[in-house]
Amino acid sequence: MSTSVTERPDSALPHEGTPMLEVKDLVVRYGRGRKAAAAPAAVDRVSFSIAPGETVGLVGESGSGKSTIGKAILGLQKVSGGSISYQGTDITSAGAAQRRALGGELRAVFQDPNSSLNPRNTVGTSLAEPLRLRGVSAGEARAKAEDMLERVGLPREAVDRYPSQFSGGQRQRISVARALICDPQLVVCDEAVSALDLSTQAQVLNLLADLRDERGLSYLFIAHDIAVVQFLAQRVVVLYRGQVMESGPAAAVTENPQHPFTQALVAASPVPRPAEQAARREARESLGVRTGAAAVPGPGGCPFRLRCPLATELCATERPALRRVGTADVACHYA
Amino acid sequence: MALFVAKRLLMALATVLVVAVLAFLLVHAMPGSPGAVSLGAGASQDAIDQLNQQLGWNDPLFSQFFRWLGDAVQGNLGVSLIDGRSVSADLADRLPVTASLAAGATVLSAIIGIALGVTAAVRGGLLDQIIGGFVGLLVALPAFWVGIILVYLLAVQSSVFPATGYVPFEVSPQDWALSLALPVITLAVGGAAFIARQTRASMLEALQQEHIRTLRATATPTWKILYIHALRYASLPIVAGIALQFIGLFGGSVIAEQLFAMPGLGQAVQTSVSTHDAPAVQGVVVIATVVVVAVNLVLELATKFLDPKLRAS
Amino acid sequence: MIPSVAPAPADADQTASTTSAAAPRRRAGKAAPTKASRYRLFASPGAVAGLLWLAALVVASLTAPLWLPFKTEDQDFTAVLSGPTAAHLLGTDELGRDILSRIFAAAAGTLGTSLITVIVGVGLGTLLAMAAAGAERTEAVISRITEVMMSLPGTVIILAVIGAVGTNIPLIMAILGILMSAGIYRVVLGQAKSLQSQLYVDAAKVDGLSPVGISVRHVLPGLANTIVVQAALIFAVGMLIQAGLAFIGFGPPLPQPSWGGMIQGASQHVYDAPWMMVPTGAVLALTVLSANAIGNALGKAPNAAAPHLPSAAARRHRAQAVAAIAAAPAPKDADAQEAPGNGTLSVRNLSVGVDNGVGLVTGVSFDVAPGTVLGLVGESGCGKTMTALSLLGLLPSGVSVSGGQILWNGRNLAAATDKDMEGIRGRDIALISQEPMRALDPMFTVGYQLTAAIRRLRGMGKAEARSEARNLLEKVGIVDAQRILKTYPHQISGGMAQRVAIALALSGQPRLLVADEPTTALDVTVQAEILSLLRALVKDTGMSVVMVTHDLGVVADICDQVAVMYAGQVVENGKTAAILDNPRHPYTLALLAADPHANDADNMPERLATIQGQVPQPKDWPTGCRFAARCQFAGSACKDPVPLLASGTGEGLVRCVKADQLAVEGMDWLATDVPAARLLPISSQHTTAAHQHTTVIEKDLA
Repeated sequence: MSTSVTERPDSALPHEGTPMLEVKDLVVRYGRGRKAAAAPAAVDRVSFSIAPGETVGLVGESGSGKSTIGKAILGLQKVSGGSISYQGTDITSAGAAQRRALGGELRAVFQDPNSSLNPRNTVGTSLAEPLRLRGVSAGEARAKAEDMLERVGLPREAVDRYPSQFSGGQRQRISVARALICDPQLVVCDEAVSALDLSTQAQVLNLLADLRDERGLSYLFIAHDIAVVQFLAQRVVVLYRGQVMESGPAAAVTENPQHPFTQALVAASPVPRPAEQAARREARESLGVRTGAAAVPGPGGCPFRLRCPLATELCATERPALRRVGTADVACHYA
Repeated sequence: MALFVAKRLLMALATVLVVAVLAFLLVHAMPGSPGAVSLGAGASQDAIDQLNQQLGWNDPLFSQFFRWLGDAVQGNLGVSLIDGRSVSADLADRLPVTASLAAGATVLSAIIGIALGVTAAVRGGLLDQIIGGFVGLLVALPAFWVGIILVYLLAVQSSVFPATGYVPFEVSPQDWALSLALPVITLAVGGAAFIARQTRASMLEALQQEHIRTLRATATPTWKILYIHALRYASLPIVAGIALQFIGLFGGSVIAEQLFAMPGLGQAVQTSVSTHDAPAVQGVVVIATVVVVAVNLVLELATKFLDPKLRAS
Repeated sequence: MIPSVAPAPADADQTASTTSAAAPRRRAGKAAPTKASRYRLFASPGAVAGLLWLAALVVASLTAPLWLPFKTEDQDFTAVLSGPTAAHLLGTDELGRDILSRIFAAAAGTLGTSLITVIVGVGLGTLLAMAAAGAERTEAVISRITEVMMSLPGTVIILAVIGAVGTNIPLIMAILGILMSAGIYRVVLGQAKSLQSQLYVDAAKVDGLSPVGISVRHVLPGLANTIVVQAALIFAVGMLIQAGLAFIGFGPPLPQPSWGGMIQGASQHVYDAPWMMVPTGAVLALTVLSANAIGNALGKAPNAAAPHLPSAAARRHRAQAVAAIAAAPAPKDADAQEAPGNGTLSVRNLSVGVDNGVGLVTGVSFDVAPGTVLGLVGESGCGKTMTALSLLGLLPSGVSVSGGQILWNGRNLAAATDKDMEGIRGRDIALISQEPMRALDPMFTVGYQLTAAIRRLRGMGKAEARSEARNLLEKVGIVDAQRILKTYPHQISGGMAQRVAIALALSGQPRLLVADEPTTALDVTVQAEILSLLRALVKDTGMSVVMVTHDLGVVADICDQVAVMYAGQVVENGKTAAILDNPRHPYTLALLAADPHANDADNMPERLATIQGQVPQPKDWPTGCRFAARCQFAGSACKDPVPLLASGTGEGLVRCVKADQLAVEGMDWLATDVPAARLLPISSQHTTAAHQHTTVIEKDLA
């Protein structure tokens, strides 16, 4: 499933066989002890890969494990099983030294612009921190920080100011600048635009798209909003309760979803055109997906079965494997 | 919940044991051997050595400790080096004095403190500032100084209360109450200020919670929002504050007992430390710890019970 | 005598600041934090006086031999137990020693040894907290140990220590510091943990910064203020304890004077020389007061959240403001004449402002007919929520209606007292808000909260209310209502909690529901369910809804009418279909063009449209069009105030002088880039000519 489907001619980079990132059967459990072992895993045997220059979107609702996967890749969350490899090197449980070496290539943009920059440090100090850790001189780091600020559309003088002097959108630009200052290969964007208003969200999305095209970056773009993911990603992985439901080319997954959950997710996302939205609403109501409020499925089987209109006894006993339906891989017995 | 209680009980037991070891070591570090302390300055070295031998002072430390522990579990805390009285019996006489002092002061400071704190938070404005200033002053005043001033005003100038001394409850409940009044007030002054601050802070935090707006949006009367919902939300930190206060006041009784010549545990610590009376020091430290840990445990369980999140888990 | 081993909360705001740091709430701070705390210190007269007093005391004490009139042990037998005289400014003690001289001679030792407690206690407490905040297992161990330490009778243990080591004051004060470190640990830990959970710490971890590096670079600086506050408070407690020890005879060895010892001496003569109590007691109290004042001033959070129920003083203040509005003559303009029909909400020219005069909402008008849904839409900072909350009289403290009318059943709610509003809230107008979890009282069961509201609003008995609560829960789509009634809010999911909150809002059978971003915090599939529920409720009960949202999709889904707000004004209003399908105001155009939901995957643009800059702060609003600075079409005509004009589509209104021209020319809001002035050549080697979207915009169409 690592075939990269790229519709944008400028971002279709040649494949060299080794993916930029490969996640295989990743399992993450929270807590320790017997209780934690019995609870369903936060991430349950998730596999996907990102080709060089490719953007993969990770979509799901709260509790789907999407952010946990991002954290595991960044080394911020202990992994309970499976493997993560970066350019062919296993980094599943990379030590501090290995992480530090990686820290320049594998970087992150986080959700909350209010807390992703230390309010006590100037913007320049925050931007220079990753460079200084890599032995870049103070003067050089500052110059680079100024260049980078300019690139994300902020004045050079911003280096001497504090984060509180910027708006949320500007702070998120600074976070992007900080992520890109070491010329990384892969950037994990964890809900990078969710806290922003529409107009600033668009600014940051455009910036991310431009930088990708300029530098041939790979993104793992984690978001709950499928429309936002659709803007940036070439491929989309849909998660539900820690498991992959569907993955495939962005257009296929969002326009012609195969899995009942993906169908529900896409149909529930409202569009700002009243007539079309009314039609979508009717289509959604006719899907027959049950409310998720009280549905906590037991272990084993398909996690979506309690809400699924297609569910049968088979779904309670056997976890459906991912299988190819059209251009996408779908984990459903009946799709 | 049962598991939680069991864990806490175990913790409490461990705390007492740790303190017992600590007290034992401290007592052994005191200057002068028990023989020297017991026999006084004029005693011969031979007599001192002989008494030390008799008291087991030269035995290995851990065997001495376990002998003491074995006796202590059976309620025997040894014999005072100074007057030869049983330490257990002496402390049993003294405990009620300190307990009534500390309990009285805790209750009084809780009542005054909660009233002041709630008033400051709820009324706001000038009254809040006045209470804040008053409380700030009370926190800064040393308890012993307050006590002396109280004696001067209420016992010397107008003899409303007895200046010093303690009357046991069995002798005369009325005189018992009168004899406790000044020391309890002395101790409660600082405690009330502490609880007032805690209460004000917790109430203000409670009133910042969004559910207060929901209550207003459903036309809940103001008194109900304040005294049922907000106070309920604020109750957890307040009770925790009261528990801490009890610990502080129990220790603070040393001063009040000294000042008002009350025959309590505090006085016992003070005299036994001054006279290097090892068994008495050790006994009183352990007993004080047991009482404080027990009360703390009860109040902690009360806090947990007040919190639906913890109760459910 | 140890008031408590745990440091008291310095002030309400001290606790508030630590808790608010834990929750990632929006905080506005303009200056660098160090500057802010210095400012706080000097803004408090008490703290300044305290600093001066402490400084004077230290200087006076260290230079004492140079200026003191008497040596500490000089005895003046002609003036034993004397009050203040010219020779002895503060009187003498029972041996005729000069009290003034003794007080200042004792000061340096008292302050210095208290500092030992501070250094040991705060230092140890902070180190433990930083170690614990970084690792869960370490935290479990350290917390266990400190819990034990806090449940010890500190005074008794200190006395036992004195028994062993004698009255070695520096050593005793150091051990006291160790005992107190447990309480400091607890205070600092909360903040250290919240700092550790900040995303910039995650970012530093991704960089490969070591745990120690993170503690030193990112956690410790954030703790600085708390540490200083705790140090000041512990300093005060240390002095009190030291004086207490001296009072019971465990002070520094004689003849060295100490404050506690002097008070002890004075207490012996309270019958014959009460004056002796005064000077030493006052100096000690003043010194403790000074340290506390400094700690409290530093601990005061500058932006503590406003209470949702204002204090009695604030409520009185507001009642006066309301009376002023009620007394003002109603404007006799065309807008205000026809009284709206029953069940219609009519907002006329509403202004809401901060009490210091800055306006947050200006001249907002709209009508909501029974059985319809009005959407208030716009970005954050546009005044949508303030407008909505003013309908219920639930504006936050410090914010109030400053003009205009809110007409409901022939009454002007803008001029209604809080008492009157109590009759309206819940019964006529109800509220649901953004975060359902936080909107419900965590200490009471769902059943209690619902039945209490039903009994209050509908005058039902207990049993009747109980069954009505069940009906309501079933009405909002909760299947196992009986079980949910018995749960506490933390035991249910967010979507379930919002259903409960809706049931609570329905408990008084309101005719207008104010919904403030009711689905923003929910998953999109849950959002769809809640919107369906609201639509069904509107249909069944005929109530109307004012829906505050930033999501144009939500507007398209549920709203009949929409008012687009920008910078405190309505910039465009009308029927939802007219506005979303045929927007007239450039801001509405821009919002739609920036929304990725407006595009299908097939024709997803390579760049989304953006609006340069951000919504201006209320104090920066221009007199002319407030959107002009960000507008692609702005021209010289936009510098004058712009009225709401008929937009030509239905009864809609639009606040743009160029609306007609734009419509005629069929202009679209274009995807622009960073302004050309700021776009400099990219210095890195990655400059591929892949994307050059420099769209040139006609700045002025006129």
